[in-house]
Amino acid sequence: MLISHYGPLSYEEIGFLLNKMTAMLERLGYSITTKKKVYAAMVESLENVYKHQDTIEENTNYLPKFTLTLEDNFIHLSASNSVLINKIAQLQDRLDKVNALDKQGLKDFYRDIILSGNVSQKGGAGLGIVNIAKVTENKLDYTFEKINDKYSYFSLHVKVAVNPQ
Amino acid sequence: MEPLYIEPSEFTPRIFFDPASSVFEISGFSRPENVVGFYKPLIKWLEDFEDQVLSKNTEFTKSNLVVNLKLTYFNSASSKFLLDILMIFMKFHSKGNNVEINWFYDEDDDEIFESGEEISEMISFPFNFIPITPGN
Repeated sequence: MLISHYGPLSYEEIGFLLNKMTAMLERLGYSITTKKKVYAAMVESLENVYKHQDTIEENTNYLPKFTLTLEDNFIHLSASNSVLINKIAQLQDRLDKVNALDKQGLKDFYRDIILSGNVSQKGGAGLGIVNIAKVTENKLDYTFEKINDKYSYFSLHVKVAVNPQ
Repeated sequence: MEPLYIEPSEFTPRIFFDPASSVFEISGFSRPENVVGFYKPLIKWLEDFEDQVLSKNTEFTKSNLVVNLKLTYFNSASSKFLLDILMIFMKFHSKGNNVEINWFYDEDDDEIFESGEEISEMISFPFNFIPITPGN
């Protein structure tokens, strides 16, 4: 386990976790490209958690969670947050669409969103998930765990192949 | 018209838009907490620049606008706004002004180089790719 976080996530905390990761990968001697890929995947997944951490009152079992682990020449990132059940369909559509695309398809999809999409009040442009798939060059694995009638716990798992410098 | 200068912060890039030299520079790191709040004023400034400077240029020789992008990292929400800014320069270009876009990148950093290639493709306009040797 390289990094683990559990609890509400602030913008400053994201910066702190990123700095920690950069220092660790630096020490492990990975190439700048590997570091940038992990960095980008981590920013987008943590910012998604930050923007979409839907509050569940009186339940501390489903707070935002993030882990970064190194296993079998891959860095694994896992990010979880609670989401309203009525948002699942849209999120799942986006994940499945992204997983069905190849490298060029992802580039085209990214371009289409950026040229047509508006940025939401929260600053999201719907680009985060596409960007994660684009930089990691691996399929996105995800789960939804039902919490109650209103909320689910969403977990996103991605991996980045590591190349020593 | 006054130049636009914004100091860099931990999450936001340095901005220097200078109407006197026609050089427009964005450099550093971009992951603003409020991406709309950070980039909207830049877009507004460029619209004012068009009204107050470019539209008033009645000389035969059009302006030569130089855009220097020296980014080390930008998140996906920032990429949307970088594109919006470049689209404004494309509009200036379509009105007869010369536009030169320089994309600076660390020569070991494939990610930022490829991001530049993609953005160049998206706006169908060639960039000058300028490698920076680390440590310089």
